[in-house]
Amino acid sequence: MQIICISRGTSRAKKVAERLAGELGLSCLSREELVEAAIQEGIQVSKLETAMIKPQIFTERLALEREYYRAFTTLYLCERAMAGGLVYHGRTGHLLLPGISHVLRARVVEDENSRIKDAMNQLGVDLTRARRYINNVDEDMRRWVHSMYGVPWEDAAHYDIILNLNQMSLKNGADALTHVAQLPDFQMTPVSTKAIEDLRLGAKARLFLARDDRTKRANVKVRADDGIITATYLPHDAGVKDIIPEIFARLEGVREIRATMATTNILWIQEAFERGAETFRQVVQIATKWNAAVELLQLIPGNEYWIEEQQSGASETAEATMTQNPSILENNGGIEDDDEEELSCEDRGLKSMLEELAKLGRSGGGKVVCGGVDRILHSIDQTAAYSLVVIGDIFLAKGHASRMRMARQLQSYLSDHVKAPIVNVEELKTQYLFSKRDLLRMLGYFGLVVLSFALVFANQEPILKFLSETGTKAKFLSPIAVFLFVPIFAYLYGNIAKSLMKLIKME
Amino acid sequence: MNAILGNMFITMNFSTALQVVILGFIGGTLSGFIGSGGAFFMTPGMMNLGVPGVVAVGSNITHKFGKAMMGSKRHGELGNVDKRLGAFLILTSFVGIRIAVWIINTLFESGGGSHGEGGGGAASNLYISAVFISILSIVAISMLGDALNKENKEGGQGPSMKVADFLSHIHLVPYIKFPVADVRISLWVIMAVGLATGYLAGTIGVGGFIGVPAMIYVFGVPTAVAAGTELYLAMFMGAFGAINYAYHGFVDIRLVILMYLGSLLGIYIGAYGTKVVKEVLIRIVTSTVILLCVISRAIAVPMYLRQLGWITMNPEWDGYFNAASKIMLFAAGISGVLIILYNVIKAYRQRRRIQYSLKQVREAA
Repeated sequence: MQIICISRGTSRAKKVAERLAGELGLSCLSREELVEAAIQEGIQVSKLETAMIKPQIFTERLALEREYYRAFTTLYLCERAMAGGLVYHGRTGHLLLPGISHVLRARVVEDENSRIKDAMNQLGVDLTRARRYINNVDEDMRRWVHSMYGVPWEDAAHYDIILNLNQMSLKNGADALTHVAQLPDFQMTPVSTKAIEDLRLGAKARLFLARDDRTKRANVKVRADDGIITATYLPHDAGVKDIIPEIFARLEGVREIRATMATTNILWIQEAFERGAETFRQVVQIATKWNAAVELLQLIPGNEYWIEEQQSGASETAEATMTQNPSILENNGGIEDDDEEELSCEDRGLKSMLEELAKLGRSGGGKVVCGGVDRILHSIDQTAAYSLVVIGDIFLAKGHASRMRMARQLQSYLSDHVKAPIVNVEELKTQYLFSKRDLLRMLGYFGLVVLSFALVFANQEPILKFLSETGTKAKFLSPIAVFLFVPIFAYLYGNIAKSLMKLIKME
Repeated sequence: MNAILGNMFITMNFSTALQVVILGFIGGTLSGFIGSGGAFFMTPGMMNLGVPGVVAVGSNITHKFGKAMMGSKRHGELGNVDKRLGAFLILTSFVGIRIAVWIINTLFESGGGSHGEGGGGAASNLYISAVFISILSIVAISMLGDALNKENKEGGQGPSMKVADFLSHIHLVPYIKFPVADVRISLWVIMAVGLATGYLAGTIGVGGFIGVPAMIYVFGVPTAVAAGTELYLAMFMGAFGAINYAYHGFVDIRLVILMYLGSLLGIYIGAYGTKVVKEVLIRIVTSTVILLCVISRAIAVPMYLRQLGWITMNPEWDGYFNAASKIMLFAAGISGVLIILYNVIKAYRQRRRIQYSLKQVREAA
């Protein structure tokens, strides 16, 4: 079940895709066909395109239409892929298949002059108009991808291979991709098979909700994991609570349905989950306060050297990485050893933790990710609204100092890519839970605030006289005094208010 | 109303202090709910208490400085602040604030009665009220129209982007690229918007109602980035406004710290309210409250006209006009806050009920 997604950076990419599909014996699907199918489904694709490409306020209804579109196109791609493999060419089809490790993500480009020349020939326009057309097309594409998936379209890090057809013929370009597609890295594994199954089921479930009149206006996030479907809905959509299980019961392959009411999500990354652990209690406490669903991500570091190699940048470690990283296998002519990735990706308390969260009404689903930080990023939905990301106990095989350092590196890396506060366990306690330290700080600040009030109100007239003084010296002193006093007071009292809200669990 | 230091600053007793705290609480709650600074309520509220308009604006903009500083940190963490865009807007907004302060100061020094006779203020009060009424009535009516619009209820393409579309067809070089907001804007347009935002912030203390829609509708910035950048901008505008008004002696520090007592608590409640109240209802409540504030301010206008000698009226009626204006304002604010509080408490209790029943189920199992 090979899946190749080609991002078209030139009109000739279509021919590359068709040739590639022919050589590998796979079906070929274009974005145009996918969009046509979506339109047949009843999705207002042109409205979505206009809304995302032109500056617009994204209404709630358009946001739902976008979810509908994503669910439909994801399901369509998954089913076509599972029917015997697929070469897709369009914008960024691989972003519809997050977490599927064997997808080959290719981009086919040409330089701007060649594209302009092609546009002049195809559209029959002059150079200026052709250049403007190309720039507009690129700008529209960029906005679409950013709006739909929250990632930059042109970023090379999102592709496994970029082909530039300027110095290469179509045939050779297709041949190059054929060779890459046959590498072990892009072959199906049991883990990636499960991932695509889960993705298909989740997309289908979401689609069913979008098709049903009773739930089509509800903002529901759906994910599937091994036949367990978790649906998270907002408080003002509480009416769908009993309808969701009824709709999902019609789906094949569903073992269990969990519906969670939540206004936001907390992502918790950990290597092994334990029910009685202090971190679990703290995360649940915060999730309850914030009315959040807790999404679990079990990270099994596939190669402890991966991050260290990135950190050191030393080339001599690269060879060590190649032999020690289980996810980078040699091209051994088809003779495969045991799949280390499969063996290492066992459940370390994830299922029982999900059950526990479901009982508490806080389950947001979960998944296992084996490998390095790039895998984590590919697994995280960049458009999901996380209020917090908690990095729990990871890199357990390392010593304490290395564990702390590597966890901090991960925290720093995720901060650059995820729009949410990223905290470790210690910061979770100090920043989000009320502790004795908060109480002492609150009392201290309260004392200072009372003192400020006493000073100001006991000396009203002199202070106001000073502030409204018209003599030259005082005229400059009063703005300075205000500029210094006001933010300090706001900081002190603001922190008291924040701690108070934390205490009554309403922040 | 008694006053001290030549009618510049009101006498502060317990009742007045409490009213200022309540003003701050209502303003803060509405501010957290709708994402603006709350000045549309607090500025006229202070004027109803007998605070000269210029001191009300000066104190409110000073209060905004500290509040925005506390709020912008969170938005920064979420990546919703385009500092480059903020920097461009700040420069021109400072010019706008300076113009506003100069106008108000000139009017204030030109004389006219305050709520009591003697002292300056009627001219500046009238000017502030006029700007307040004209700008905020447009904001309220368009917001209400938007919320009640059938097409939008059914999920149309959202409010009109005619302005952004029109501007995109006019080639006004040079253009500046803003990566975080993901837009390309003409420098002249930025300058015009910055100037307008600064002028209005300096005149009536209201920045968010102009700045945020301007960024969304005129620049095409995503809503979250517009809100975050506006808050970042508000911090600097507040600081600059505070310095300017303090330089002219128009900041009443007592009002500032009393407002903080209420507003920094209210903002959390308002923000919590946004999670449990539907978007359409938020817009309807917001626009209704603003409209009532506008009417409340309009009721006070005859007083200033009489004090300036432009109309003839019994001076004893000033008290009735002021009382009517004050009652309407507080009624509007309190109603809005009550709606928010009702929904917040309802959601809180529902959450507790769910937790309790889940606990029961667990224990039974």
